[in-house]
Amino acid sequence: MSIRMLNQNAEVMNKSAALAMNIGAAKGLQDVLKTNLGPKGTIKMLVGGAGDIKLTKDGNTLLKEMQIQNPTAIMIARTAVAQDDTSGDGTTSTVLFIGELMKMSERCIEEGTHPRFLVDGFEVAKKATLEFLETFKTSVVIGDQPDREILKMVARTTLRTKLYEGLADQLTDIVVNAVLCIRQSDQPIDLFMVEIMHMRHKFDVDTRLIEGLVLDHGSRHPDMKRRAENCYILTANVSLEYEKSEINAGFFYSNAEQREKMVTAERRQVDERVQKIIELKNKVCAGTDKNFVVINQKGIDPPSLDLLARAGIIALRRAKRRNMERLVLACGGEAINSVEGMTEECLGWAGLVYEHVLGEEKYTFVENVKNPHSCTILIKGPNDHTIAQIKDAVRDGLRSVKNTVEDEAVVLGAGAFEIAARKNLIDNVKKTVKGRAQLGVGAFADALLVIPKTLAENSGLDTQDVIVSLENEHDRGLVVGLNHNTGEPVDPEMEGIYDNYSVKRQIVNSGPIIASQLLLVDEVIRAGRNMRKPT
Amino acid sequence: MREVVTVQVGGFANFVGSHFWNFQDELLGLADDPAADAAFRTAPLDMDVLYRTGETLQGVSTYCPRLVSIGSRGSLGSLSSSGAPGLSSAASDQLNVTTWSGNVTRSVAKPHGRNLFLQSLTEQEPNPSTSNGGDNSQKSVEDKDLVECLEKDVNFWTDYTKVQYHPQSLYEMYGSWTDFDKFDNFGTAREVVSEWSLMEEMNEKLRFFVEECDHIQGIQFIVDDSGGFSSIAATYLENIADDYTNTPVLLYCVRDPVTHGSSRNQRETISRSLHDAVSFSKLSSFCSLMVPIGLPSLSQSYLSPFLSIQDAKPFHSSAISAAAIHSVTVPFRLQNAGPASNIAHSSGNIDMRELVHIISDQGRQNMVTALDVAMPAPSLKDGNDLWNMKSLHSLTPEISDEEEDPYSVESLVVHGVLRAGGHRASISQVKSSVYSAYEARATKPKFSHLSVSPCPLPIPLPFPSIFRSNISQHGEILGNHAEGTQTKGSLDVESIPMAARLRSSNAVLPFIERRSLSLQKFGVARGALGTQILRDWGFGREEMEDMGEHLSRMVRALRPDDGLTSDSD
Repeated sequence: MSIRMLNQNAEVMNKSAALAMNIGAAKGLQDVLKTNLGPKGTIKMLVGGAGDIKLTKDGNTLLKEMQIQNPTAIMIARTAVAQDDTSGDGTTSTVLFIGELMKMSERCIEEGTHPRFLVDGFEVAKKATLEFLETFKTSVVIGDQPDREILKMVARTTLRTKLYEGLADQLTDIVVNAVLCIRQSDQPIDLFMVEIMHMRHKFDVDTRLIEGLVLDHGSRHPDMKRRAENCYILTANVSLEYEKSEINAGFFYSNAEQREKMVTAERRQVDERVQKIIELKNKVCAGTDKNFVVINQKGIDPPSLDLLARAGIIALRRAKRRNMERLVLACGGEAINSVEGMTEECLGWAGLVYEHVLGEEKYTFVENVKNPHSCTILIKGPNDHTIAQIKDAVRDGLRSVKNTVEDEAVVLGAGAFEIAARKNLIDNVKKTVKGRAQLGVGAFADALLVIPKTLAENSGLDTQDVIVSLENEHDRGLVVGLNHNTGEPVDPEMEGIYDNYSVKRQIVNSGPIIASQLLLVDEVIRAGRNMRKPT
Repeated sequence: MREVVTVQVGGFANFVGSHFWNFQDELLGLADDPAADAAFRTAPLDMDVLYRTGETLQGVSTYCPRLVSIGSRGSLGSLSSSGAPGLSSAASDQLNVTTWSGNVTRSVAKPHGRNLFLQSLTEQEPNPSTSNGGDNSQKSVEDKDLVECLEKDVNFWTDYTKVQYHPQSLYEMYGSWTDFDKFDNFGTAREVVSEWSLMEEMNEKLRFFVEECDHIQGIQFIVDDSGGFSSIAATYLENIADDYTNTPVLLYCVRDPVTHGSSRNQRETISRSLHDAVSFSKLSSFCSLMVPIGLPSLSQSYLSPFLSIQDAKPFHSSAISAAAIHSVTVPFRLQNAGPASNIAHSSGNIDMRELVHIISDQGRQNMVTALDVAMPAPSLKDGNDLWNMKSLHSLTPEISDEEEDPYSVESLVVHGVLRAGGHRASISQVKSSVYSAYEARATKPKFSHLSVSPCPLPIPLPFPSIFRSNISQHGEILGNHAEGTQTKGSLDVESIPMAARLRSSNAVLPFIERRSLSLQKFGVARGALGTQILRDWGFGREEMEDMGEHLSRMVRALRPDDGLTSDSD
């Protein structure tokens, strides 16, 4: 209480109050996110003050939307969001797990256990569970020809928790193919090489994968072709516009003739660059039915467009910076920074280039490319919030496939891992621990059950029934999970329900850390200056 | 035609922008209105410079500002980020979720009320003409209510905007953890900036507008640099400099007078000085020309004899900055080219690149300019009188009052000035009057550029009632008028003549010096009090020293004693 002597306004909460606050916050957050979990969870529609709509079933998005004020809740939420940043999923599970650890601890503390013992127990249990995860995981051989089926199962498991089954299954193929497309042996997978494009048009089921690229702009000249086959693609970062040079500013010339001269000189430089491109086009295309497309990161002004159009070249200006990289990966060739010394080797290739116009929005499709290492997922939907939600789901799907490829392992889902891990803790680990830390191990083991319990609850099943029947099967040595439709135990392997190894690992790892920190708080002091402006 | 793309970043910048676009919208309306002042019809400004024609998905053609506006979440008030009024909560109740077959929970925030003015926009087909006198009485009563409601009830910048924005224009930032109430220094935005997707989306929005420009003349960038937004703007500007290498960026740093309030304690004082220094250093490194705007108090300023401004209302104070920015953009939009055609309707058109070049590239390489404004601009007296240069007063804070700098470079815009008797002065009259005023000055600037247009600043309906009673309907300053407390608004004043001047001279030296000093004192010096703050904001020692060096280089360039001869050593 010495703080009171220094600052009369300081608020101090003693140990039990502090603990109660922390546990309360953790439980509160758990309650909010609980309904999200699993393929039977509830989707949230958030309508903002101006009528903006956001649809989400993602714990991560929801946490960010909530504008949490409680400091404990912020701490938990940050951990959960960090989880999403590193492994792409598992936000909801992390929050649920932390909440449940706190809840289980509360019981022990009420009976007089010092939090220190619980924390020690958590430490032991965490280590044992991580070791158990190593033996429990299903290894996946990736190699040059990855097992497409297992990747699909992982992707489907993720997507079905975000979208209805039909759409999820359709997207499953798309995301798996996308990741396999951009994957290059002995290089890390860069998901940015999957462009995600959207069109507000038609229905969600029209979403498709394009092996190639879709650009969100078109050519800016009326005479350029809207569709061309057998195209050379020149990816360039060369300014093809006339920028007034600095000496040309209004008052450095003394008469009109001089001004004209400067303008022509400047113009000539740009024209020469355009001419170089036209020469290359003539060299590679002459006498064939091949076409030539220039995609430039810098600007192209109307006179240059004119010249290019007259030479039969399709030209796009101001392409996205990242698309330069994607284009080269999709079509081949290289991105050039200068028109000097261009050769045919610099050019990429696409079987088909065409433009699609929707109102004032133009899209250019670069398709039928050879051996692409970049692709585009084109999401369609009737309105913005649908598109946004599909986009989020696609991102999660891509991450899950990428994780699988990198982990070279998956974990049986539908709650099977949690039941098995609990059994391991109770049967094997608890005995090895001496003294009251056993309580911590026990609490940890029970907290793991929050996942199957919540899955059952969201599916409208009786949680206790479900847990008992699942545990019975495990006692008989069968690894089973929960069938959310019937409430019966199922073999996740048969059903193809797999979770990411890295996500599970992360949850087991970070949950107890935060819970321990929160449990060991024994005083909360609020003495900071109130920074809020007086209004 | 050479396009300008406008970017607005931050709370007060959007308040300013909202007024700016209201002026433009008013001009558009007046150009087609046979009842309007002839100056608006005969010498219209080229609106295509700022606007783009487009088409909605339904095929309806649109004419929208070429604008990217960045604000914090919730700052759009009742306007949805697609630019249209959002769905009503009743409509969202009926909305089906097509992507999920399971349960749906709805969480509906309390909708922001739409004030009387916004309601009137949707009710009737927007008719931007300033109806006056001849209209039926019922209408004018209604207008009076609208003006009154705006005086009382403006919470968001969208509350008084009458412009239709493009769906790509508006962007609300989803700062994950940042409490926007405390978004008051450079460091707070660090997390937001580091979020990849956010910057990417901002870049995409800008690219949408730049891609369709055939000959972009430049980007006009308005930033509220009083808080975390200056860090966002700095990152944005850095990306712009990368992507559009040769495109000039004209940066206005605007500040709400409220943000100048006194600090509570030493730590806050240090943090603020450091914020000013860091944001100035960062912003100035990635733009072509920087114009700081924002006096600590407008109500006490030189403008007060004519305008009665309440500092506490951003609705009021932003209107002044917006008017000044409007005047600066006038030369970019004058239509006739060539210095030869004096008889034409305007004179001195200049594009942004040339302006930047005139002001910043000559002699001293100073790119921080002061903005002076005369609002309203005084009328010409009869005969060959001198135009009153003294009526121009600075909107840039912390500058010295001396005008005696022989190396200064200026660009002056005068538009819509009247002669005695209330007639519009002709271009040549204005020119000769201004030239002789320059001649009469004791120290002439090294170079000056003059742009003249007959087109005054139109006062749109949602303009604050800030004119004192000595301002006439056309913005004349009535000399013999008794001082009244009653203020006039858009119903009594149709338009006002304006003059604005960008001035690169050593007058801005104190402004830069103060920032350079505070960075030295609190940041770089050994054992400085603010090193920890800077470290929290994510700046290492080296970066601090770089910024310090950058600032002292700017100071050296302006020092009168060793001004032109000293090289950076």
